[in-house]
Amino acid sequence: MLPVNLNNIRSFILAVILLLLTPAAAVFSQSDTRADTENCLLCHRYPNMGRYDESGQKRVYYVNAQNYARSVHGKIKCKNCHIGLDRIPHTDVKKVDCATQCHIKEPSTNLEFSHANMIQKYEASVHGRGTPENPKPYPEDLPTCKDCHDNRMYNSFDGQWGLSAAMFNETLARCLGCHVKEKWAQDFYSHFTHRMRKRRAPAEVVRLCTRCHEDRNKMARHGIESIETFKDTFHWIEIKFGVKNAPDCISCHVPLGYATHDIRPRTDPISPINERNRVQTCSNQGGVQVCHPAAKAKFATGRVHAYGTKAQMLAGKVDKEFDDLELGRVLERAEVDISPEELFRFKVLQLIKLIYKIMIGGTILFMGLHQWLDFLSAKRKKRSSP
Amino acid sequence: MGNNQLALENETDMPSEAVAAERYFVRLNFSERVQHVIFAGCFFVLVITGFMLKLPESFLAVLGDAGDVLFRYRRLLHRSAGTLMILVGAYHLYYLLLKPAGRRWLFDMLPRFKDLKDMRDNLLYFFNIKKEPPEFDRFCYKHKIEYGALIVGTTIMSLTGIILWTQYGWNKFIVDIAALVHGMEAILACLAIMIWHFYEIHFRPHKSPLDDLWITGVISEAEMKEEYMLHYKKIMNDPELQKIFIKGRAGEK
Repeated sequence: MLPVNLNNIRSFILAVILLLLTPAAAVFSQSDTRADTENCLLCHRYPNMGRYDESGQKRVYYVNAQNYARSVHGKIKCKNCHIGLDRIPHTDVKKVDCATQCHIKEPSTNLEFSHANMIQKYEASVHGRGTPENPKPYPEDLPTCKDCHDNRMYNSFDGQWGLSAAMFNETLARCLGCHVKEKWAQDFYSHFTHRMRKRRAPAEVVRLCTRCHEDRNKMARHGIESIETFKDTFHWIEIKFGVKNAPDCISCHVPLGYATHDIRPRTDPISPINERNRVQTCSNQGGVQVCHPAAKAKFATGRVHAYGTKAQMLAGKVDKEFDDLELGRVLERAEVDISPEELFRFKVLQLIKLIYKIMIGGTILFMGLHQWLDFLSAKRKKRSSP
Repeated sequence: MGNNQLALENETDMPSEAVAAERYFVRLNFSERVQHVIFAGCFFVLVITGFMLKLPESFLAVLGDAGDVLFRYRRLLHRSAGTLMILVGAYHLYYLLLKPAGRRWLFDMLPRFKDLKDMRDNLLYFFNIKKEPPEFDRFCYKHKIEYGALIVGTTIMSLTGIILWTQYGWNKFIVDIAALVHGMEAILACLAIMIWHFYEIHFRPHKSPLDDLWITGVISEAEMKEEYMLHYKKIMNDPELQKIFIKGRAGEK
């Protein structure tokens, strides 16, 4: 028998399929898709394209040409980010690195564009992986670009300006007076307006952050507490009601003058939630949303999130959910983060709560019992009187 | 007074002699009834707009953009009702100290040793150990407990509410305490009103479904004897008190 090389057979079958599909490439000459000069869509245009990887996770390789063209990366060629891909099937594919230089010119410097500077800041932030000399534990827990930048390609950019589709049409018409290429004008318009308002509603921001920050065990691995106590605050109540510009995580942790990629811990003097910067953070003077314009230092000193695990631990309530290692990490951080004064405040609040609970329980028990007895005696009297 | 007409309306088909013989005893005068109605109205608005903050996210998500509008009106209503309640409270204090009827109210409302004895005896009556309940004066221990709780509760809610409203001027710790106390006291007040007060006016066998005392201000002689025998005796022995507390037919003193 002739020796059969399976790889050769696979390549042959794929080549035949590609040959048969070649006429389909003409379909992509629609107005709002890019010229697919790399011919990737020849295969990736098929919605069923994908596989289950070794871990059983479904991987979708389908790319909707229209939606890709409308996305933030719509002008970039596939191979600019997906390095490798020289062989079919793609056995040499590398994970996308957002710091890659992507051959489009950054207009202010005319240099090749890259997110490297952003990533550099990010790695130094609370969410970064630390330095090679001092890496953070459990790097798999830390968010990567795509955890937050889900690039909702399926959203059209209609209404990016103040949620008004009409405004989009009118403004774009003015642009087109000088800039004759409609696609270019749309991209440019979209690029700016995209950054002129918050992309996510406050509730969406909270959902995004709490995806990790409400995971008690994941947070404990990094010595921090779950932020579920945020939902005890009045800020959350406003978000819950859908109040426009209600204060979400970004409002305080990335106020005017700060960058989302550069969130620092509370102890860092440049952090907006550091005590020395609090008055400006609470008032957000000069920002679109001036929140507490009359905020004074004494108002802006306390905790905004209610006291959580760390204060409870210092007050002697040990959380049984954590194992010893995690417990140790949280406790270690708790001693740094919660000052004796704050611990005293927490204890006072707990005491008031306890007193009220006893008072409510006692009062209701007494009142309920009293009225029930009154009712029974009234009935007894009614029975005995003719 | 016109209000007595209400009390008598349903008895117009009775023989005229019987109506003429009917005597009514004043429990709440006009001013007290007005104070009560405004206060109770504020209370309902405050409870609804206050506990709205506890509505679950899933319910509010259904409201969409209406949630924003609702939140703004909620705040406006809560603060307006709170302000009005404080004003009624202030007027009540003025009424207690400077009006003769108010001073009499305050004097009758002061806690006495007899209240403790009454409470003990009433509980013994509940358990059928004593065959008769104690004879109550104008205000019995139940009223005094409730009135005391109302004074304390309103003071606490007003103070903490004002702190929350003027939060910028306060230390965050004080604001935190105020927010906690405002919420807990609200729960206590609501449950107390529901169990104590609503029982008195809605569920006591002879009051159901709703006692009309808050509108008419008067109770019948039979009820007066039944509930406040001691006060009834005092009135009957004092012509001055009779002028104040007894009302005959509509328009008659």
